[in-house]
Amino acid sequence: MLKAFSTAATGMAGQQMMVDNIANNLANINTTGFKRSQINFQDLLYLKMSHAGAEVASGVNTPTGLEIGSGVRASSTTKVFTVGELENTGRPLDIAIAGDGFLQVTMPNGEIRYTRDGSLQVNANGQLVTASGYSIEPAITLPTDAAAMDIGKDGTVSVTDASGTQSSVGNLQLVRFPNSAGLSSEGDNLYSQTEASGTAVTGTPGEGGIGTIQSGMLEKSNVQMVTELVSLITAERAYEINSRAIQAGDKMLQTATTLGR
Amino acid sequence: MTEPISQISTSIDALTQELEIITHNLANASTSGFKRRCNAFSKVLDAQNGAPDTFSPGKIELESALDFSQGSPVQTGRPLDFTLMGKGFFVVETPEGPLYTRNGSFEVNTNGQIVDSTGRTVSGEAGPITVPPAVSTSEIQVSPDGRLSANGTKIGKLQVVDFQENEGKLVSAGENCYLMPDKTIQPAATDKIVIKQGFQEASNVKIVDELVDMIMVTRLYEANMRYVSAQRENSTSLNSVAMG
Repeated sequence: MLKAFSTAATGMAGQQMMVDNIANNLANINTTGFKRSQINFQDLLYLKMSHAGAEVASGVNTPTGLEIGSGVRASSTTKVFTVGELENTGRPLDIAIAGDGFLQVTMPNGEIRYTRDGSLQVNANGQLVTASGYSIEPAITLPTDAAAMDIGKDGTVSVTDASGTQSSVGNLQLVRFPNSAGLSSEGDNLYSQTEASGTAVTGTPGEGGIGTIQSGMLEKSNVQMVTELVSLITAERAYEINSRAIQAGDKMLQTATTLGR
Repeated sequence: MTEPISQISTSIDALTQELEIITHNLANASTSGFKRRCNAFSKVLDAQNGAPDTFSPGKIELESALDFSQGSPVQTGRPLDFTLMGKGFFVVETPEGPLYTRNGSFEVNTNGQIVDSTGRTVSGEAGPITVPPAVSTSEIQVSPDGRLSANGTKIGKLQVVDFQENEGKLVSAGENCYLMPDKTIQPAATDKIVIKQGFQEASNVKIVDELVDMIMVTRLYEANMRYVSAQRENSTSLNSVAMG
């Protein structure tokens, strides 16, 4: 059978995966702290019919060989951790990380996850939690008599009570990774550490390469609609052309089979 | 009697292979740093229509030379996406020796070393490039000649090499990389190249060109097949005359 069929099929599968990836990026265009994914492709191995540089006569080498490739595969998706646009919300509990860094979140089972979504809330116990209700690590509890609160650039959480006295109730800490693109996406705007990401390094915001905390702001998704749409058109066309290659192969085989009649 | 038929079958085989090469190009229309293969057989065959004498059986030179022309740079905004503008290759280290690639979509591994998307170390002018732990990838800047720095601190220089006239001897190793089978050929460092940060080099496959080639291949294939069936009819009628 024609090798072209399976080659074109890998092309179609690859483009389909690209569309899946674009669709997820576009779906998260309004997700706070979302980072777009970029899909990377690699060519598959080659069938070497003749080697380049093989000696055909004494001192004469073929200038090029004959290599027939077997298509493409999606090799990886990379999260692109560029900072999204910061949007002013005016809500003191909304924080954005200007620069590198993640907030730590304690899951109900005690595991630590990481997020850049800083739309914090206060739960019934006065504890700082994420929008989904998971508590922030290190745990910070606001006193019940707090009249106002403020989060500083270095992560210091301070409250003002009814009498106007200001006091610090804790420090938000951020972590960074040697390779943040290697984090595993867990949904719910959360990431978890992997072998590839390396171990989290905890630090104070604004120090050691960690970004600062901007209170009253939220980091928007870094998905650019136009870029995604352009990629979508390219993927769609590439998918179409790969299906045309299958048709062409089919037509050739048809010509060959009618020969026997 | 049989000779034209064997000529035709050689060209049918070659056309089938050509379709396979075109399909592979098309499948890699979105592979960054991919270089298309040009397979000129159908064009040679087409050009020879006017001069059939030059076409001799068993002498079909089917080659699939790599077309190393520049692909267009596509902006990604990722600090570790690099595009080479000009002739040359990045070098990735493998246990089997160096491989050469134009796919500059790099990552940092857990040891802080710059690696390609499959985790192989990218070679710098002085061995692997290590990003200090205090530097975040978003702070990495690259100069047009490949010097990496962060906040004014030098990190290293990407090794960029050129094979000059020996470029055609490179063979594909898959995974966007090329291999130089002839160990005597050593690439030279090049300075006639500009590295752009935040861009990926798109595949240089041009869909329309491939489509045109594909149509040509299918038509030539059909024409060759017609010839075979005409020959068959001729021999049938010849036989029926002889048999009475």
